[in-house]
Amino acid sequence: MIRLSNVSHSYGVEQVVDDVSLDVEPGEVVAVIGPSGVGKTTLLRTMALFLEPDAGTVALDGDAVWDAAEDERLALRRRIGMVFQEASLFDASVARNVEYGLRVRQDWRERIREQLRSLAGSTNPAAAVEDALEVVGLADKLDQQARSLSGGEAQRVSFARALAYEPSYLLLDEPTSDLDPRNTGLIEEAVFEARDRGIGVVVATHDMHQAERVADRVGVLLGDGFTEVGPTERIFDDPSDERTRKFISGELVY
Amino acid sequence: MPIESAVPLLLDNPFQRGYVPSIVYVSLYVSVIAVTLSTLVSLPIGLVMGFTQFPGKQFVKSVINTGMGFPSVVVGLMVLFAVSNQGPLGALDLIFTKQAMIISQFVLATPPITAISLAAITGVDENVRDAARALGGTRLDVALVVIKEARYGIATAVLAGFGRAISEVGSVLIVGGNITSADGISKTRTLTTAIQLEARQGRYETAMVLGAVLVTIVLLVNAIVVRLGETGAMNR
Repeated sequence: MIRLSNVSHSYGVEQVVDDVSLDVEPGEVVAVIGPSGVGKTTLLRTMALFLEPDAGTVALDGDAVWDAAEDERLALRRRIGMVFQEASLFDASVARNVEYGLRVRQDWRERIREQLRSLAGSTNPAAAVEDALEVVGLADKLDQQARSLSGGEAQRVSFARALAYEPSYLLLDEPTSDLDPRNTGLIEEAVFEARDRGIGVVVATHDMHQAERVADRVGVLLGDGFTEVGPTERIFDDPSDERTRKFISGELVY
Repeated sequence: MPIESAVPLLLDNPFQRGYVPSIVYVSLYVSVIAVTLSTLVSLPIGLVMGFTQFPGKQFVKSVINTGMGFPSVVVGLMVLFAVSNQGPLGALDLIFTKQAMIISQFVLATPPITAISLAAITGVDENVRDAARALGGTRLDVALVVIKEARYGIATAVLAGFGRAISEVGSVLIVGGNITSADGISKTRTLTTAIQLEARQGRYETAMVLGAVLVTIVLLVNAIVVRLGETGAMNR
């Protein structure tokens, strides 16, 4: 379980995340919804252990992350995958991109051996790489150059890249905001596949319909922390907080 | 002088046996080692300057930019003083050696390699760095990703440094002395210093031939580096 307890983070004087608590269990999809600029990205970067919060604690399966030594924190960080709004693929083949997470987890001797093998022209992608690309429907693009992919394909490769090393948790920051409906659908199917594999998924999105489609639970982030966190159906049908209700019905416009 | 008249010279070979290969060897030896050392120093500087903020960064930048336009004869003079008997490196007895030439070429090649690498490194999308980190990369992994992403710019930097080093006359003449041994084999004579010697003695044909050899080497090295960049892109 990823547990954020009373986490706050600010950039300079601007308080971006204020006193936020959230638990994410394995095998569930949690959507974080809210308008742009409300701190969703900062929250996800805190969960990805990129950012140390100014206050509060982040714990992964009981281990307080920022109390741990740096190498322990790396090991904890490596159990979390993150997909960004932009695909940001490396300028290399699709296979090399998806392999990356596996490669950095190998020791240097193995990495150098593999580098030499690939220079000699014999590349043999790991089963996990093919499997991850299968999940996003791009198993046939293995040898293609990343820069020749369409935007939707690139984002799906970016998802596969985070899935390949079998993280315990997967954080998606507006993963489909630049995509067409078809590619959005394929990413959402991949989210379900990840959940079925026991991965805890967090999706930050400003698209309420997407949250309704994919999430088991929803957290509504409106400026100063969550107004409400609960089961998707209840949040959308019967929000207990007045501001949540207004936001969901579209009355609260940012 | 018409080019055709230079061609038979290649066949006749007016030079003593082994002379031309030996000056080519000295040219390449000095330039390749100097540029390799420069690259090893430049890349970490480029990475640190590209990734971090520190006080005096702007000053370091302007020092590097000034270094790009630094006159080579002045560098040669300074290295000459440094390695001369009274200089701080005098005890190493480096005066008129290839090592002294490497030092001066290193000083000349490092600023352009650093400046061009830095431009390439800062050009790498920050999101790509984030992605490498998010996928479990350590600081070293992220740095390697950045170098790979910037590889064309870095190759350009190395080429620019190599071009400056191998075509440089002033400083290698001062610190190397343009010496051949008694049997006519080059000790510290490079293609460039040999050319200026031939030209000064009025042997323009042979000077042209040596010039052609120098141009060929520069073109070959360019081709090899570009080719390496391309295969690297395919295999990565």
